[in-house]
Amino acid sequence: MADAKKFPYASEVVLPPELEGWEEMYPPQRLFSKDREAWENKHFWYQDKIHAPEPMYPLDDIFQEAWQISLSQFTTRVFCIPPAQGVAQRMLGCYMYITAVEPPPPEVIGEKAERFQKRVFYVFENYDALWDKWLTKFQALGREMESLKIPKEFDKYVPDSEIFPAPRGYTQAYEIIEAFNTIISQIFKAWQYHFEYLNLAYLGYLMFVDTARKLFPGIKESTIGKMVAGAEVSMFRPEEELCRLSRLAAGQPPVAEILKKNIPADKKMEELRSIDAGRVWIGELERIKNPWFFVSCGSGWYHFEGSWTNKMDVPFSYMQSYVQRLEKGEKIERSLTAISEERDRIVSEYKALIKTDDDRKSFEDAYKVVRTIYRYAEDHLFWVEHWLHTIWFEKIREFGDVLVKNNVLKKTDDIFLFNRFEVPMLLEDLATAWALGEGAPTRGKFWMEKAAKREKILDAARKWMAAPGLGVPPEEVSEPFTVMLWGVTTDKVAEWLKGSETASKDVNEIKGFASSAGVAEGPARVLKLLEDVVKLEAGEIMVAPCTNPSWAPVFTKIKAAVTDIGGLTSHAAIVSREYGLPSVTGTGIATSVIKTGDIIKVDGSTGVVTIVKRV
Amino acid sequence: MAEKWIYWLKEVGQEDNNVVGKKCANLGELTKAGFHVPPGFALGVEAYSRFMKETEATDLLLKFLDTFHADPNNVADTLRYEEASNTMRALVESVKMPPDMEKKIKEYYAEMCRIAGCENIYVATRSAGPTSHPGQYETYLNVSGADDVALNVIRVWSSTFNTRSVIARARLNLPLHYDPIGVAVLTMVDAKAAGVMFTVNPVNGDESKVAIEGSFGYGEAVVSGNVTPDRYLVDKITLEIDEKVISDKGSEFIYNPETKEMEYTELPPDQRKRQCLEDKEVLELTRLAKKVEAHFGCPQDVEWSISRSLPFPESIFLVQARPESVWGKKKKESVLGKKSGMELLFERATTPIKLKM
Repeated sequence: MADAKKFPYASEVVLPPELEGWEEMYPPQRLFSKDREAWENKHFWYQDKIHAPEPMYPLDDIFQEAWQISLSQFTTRVFCIPPAQGVAQRMLGCYMYITAVEPPPPEVIGEKAERFQKRVFYVFENYDALWDKWLTKFQALGREMESLKIPKEFDKYVPDSEIFPAPRGYTQAYEIIEAFNTIISQIFKAWQYHFEYLNLAYLGYLMFVDTARKLFPGIKESTIGKMVAGAEVSMFRPEEELCRLSRLAAGQPPVAEILKKNIPADKKMEELRSIDAGRVWIGELERIKNPWFFVSCGSGWYHFEGSWTNKMDVPFSYMQSYVQRLEKGEKIERSLTAISEERDRIVSEYKALIKTDDDRKSFEDAYKVVRTIYRYAEDHLFWVEHWLHTIWFEKIREFGDVLVKNNVLKKTDDIFLFNRFEVPMLLEDLATAWALGEGAPTRGKFWMEKAAKREKILDAARKWMAAPGLGVPPEEVSEPFTVMLWGVTTDKVAEWLKGSETASKDVNEIKGFASSAGVAEGPARVLKLLEDVVKLEAGEIMVAPCTNPSWAPVFTKIKAAVTDIGGLTSHAAIVSREYGLPSVTGTGIATSVIKTGDIIKVDGSTGVVTIVKRV
Repeated sequence: MAEKWIYWLKEVGQEDNNVVGKKCANLGELTKAGFHVPPGFALGVEAYSRFMKETEATDLLLKFLDTFHADPNNVADTLRYEEASNTMRALVESVKMPPDMEKKIKEYYAEMCRIAGCENIYVATRSAGPTSHPGQYETYLNVSGADDVALNVIRVWSSTFNTRSVIARARLNLPLHYDPIGVAVLTMVDAKAAGVMFTVNPVNGDESKVAIEGSFGYGEAVVSGNVTPDRYLVDKITLEIDEKVISDKGSEFIYNPETKEMEYTELPPDQRKRQCLEDKEVLELTRLAKKVEAHFGCPQDVEWSISRSLPFPESIFLVQARPESVWGKKKKESVLGKKSGMELLFERATTPIKLKM
């Protein structure tokens, strides 16, 4: 019996039979459980489509596991944001659900308040110096991960160099186990750093929203986004480098000719290598590749998304169109000065409307506070989710390669089908067989069958429409990060409830955040993965689970953007506004309700997406 | 030399409030400031005085009033005021205008026609009291031809004897036979849509917004509340249309050339819920609203009208501007309580976000 006011509890969800066995992919503490049911049912859980829009590969789950700890601890134990607690996660049917933990008892709020003032005020006063320290230690951690030695293969006999002049005392068997332990520690540490200032950046942002709303009750969040967004942040650098490389190419006609060809990127590289100007251009690309091409083709959260370094077709297709546009005399770069000037104009014109000098002073000060720290939200993303994750995925594939070479797995990427507690078992199995000598078997067949079964389960999960929420929606949502980062507000939840009542084919109007003004109508292109970008045709409206800065060049092609979930200050929302495209974010259900080819109308001023005609 | 009593709009400004009435003074001010206002002229309060004094009108009224007694605070007497009003208006409207006045008005009208390059141009004759009494006096639309213009000027003057004005004066113990007002004679805008805008969100006093209400046809439909208008809320700074509510407008207020009357005509079903303004018109209105506010230095209530025959943006006319009456008068108080950025941050951190389900 469906209750219009609630979603099913986790225990009431009926999973398709093809998902049978999904639980074993994830550690038991990450599942809904009988023993914690009372606590779990007290909370409202919603599917985290920002970080986990796709069924979760067991090894990719490590980032989720790490942020559950890290995000939460900085709120509860480090900077002590008084009434807020952590964000808990649970897996269900391969999808991740999250919830904001209910507020702590009053006495705890008081204790936290004292610490908050002391610690947080210090951070804001010293942010610039702290950011330099952060970047230094984070880059060092990334370089450590890059230089981690993973045995490429197991030698039949340990080489002499490890015996003379004194035996090393341990072998590749130990090295591979240690290397995996090390890389797990490194990724966990990276994710500890990830939230070092992020919670405070979001808090600063929310404070500024409050302040602006008190003065201008009707100010839109997209306008506030324009006020606080930085133009020169790391996340935009990859695209700037693409523009620069495209300009270099445009100035060297033979290079430009090759880049304009409709051939795969590796063929282009080959042709470029055969000419002098091409080799010079490649030299320039190689020089900036690390870090600026270490950018995920998606969110950075899934191994299969790939990055510009291993899916060169993506940056090359961007450069192809940039070179063409340059030849037509168009400008391809974002004008950083124009962006900053527009931002300053908006801020000063709003400021001029403030009626009292006291308020103007408070507003200026609040703005200073948010501008001090907000760039962390924009900078950390590149360094963690893109740069470091690119390194991580490549390194993990080195482990996969060794397992494939030794018949423990079939394909390199099958390693992502095993969680971080299981991978050591595979490595130990391999190391043991090698140590035992000739003819000793591994359990390769067992692992391979498991991998195949899991791939099937994930496939089934992809086809299954998981409920956007679980349990009873709360009377109020009091955890600020949930509101801000995931764009989950009570309005959204109510929309989801509406969506879950009606079959998706009956929904013709979807509501979301009006994140970039304007109206556009055209055919929809539903992009579950950035790879599908290749199929995108000019003039289409992009419909995606969420967008990401590495999609920036896509915005020159599309008419409008619609996303399932997304805050108004995500980098993609900013880019959307910069390109002057209408966009509606945080619709909750767009990718499941809209099909590629449907004619849709996007009103970025009201936040309404209408399906005009279905395919 | 007799006192001047007729003016081109561009000859008057805000400072002439008491000379030509508020509406004329504001329209003159807008015209002088370069805003697009329908061309026209103003009859000063002096014109009213001359008419009342130099004709038999005053005598006729005083004679009638000698015999009229009623209590303005007694609701039962309303009917008696209504009868008196009818009599007084009939008296005034039966009086002939002094010939030199009539001649002058007709000359001004002829000049309007000459400039517009159009014979018997349609005009509106609008009342303009020295103090603002919205909706108290009357306005006559789509008046054409010199004789009708003169006639309708008298009708506007006689509207100072309509029931509500007479009762209002009686309650204040003011003379009942005399209430000088100005009259604006303005070129009619053949309005495809018209309405009102505020340079502040009337709902919450947010001065970063312009609130626009409009409907098809002439603006009286919106001002009088006879139709539910479309509503737009536009950000002054980003020039983004934040809200757009398209209403079922039911009917439009238009001129019927057959009956020569203004009337409400039901809109065809496919028209009723159509947006009455194009987005570019909404944005242009917003830009104008900002300029008007900047010119007068306080939140404004602006009436506008969009011509169906002129090309955008010349199609947009301002037909009235006055200070917004609610938020403009509010005392300017601090809402942030002198807090510093860090204090605001602490406040945010300690207050959960509450959202009603």
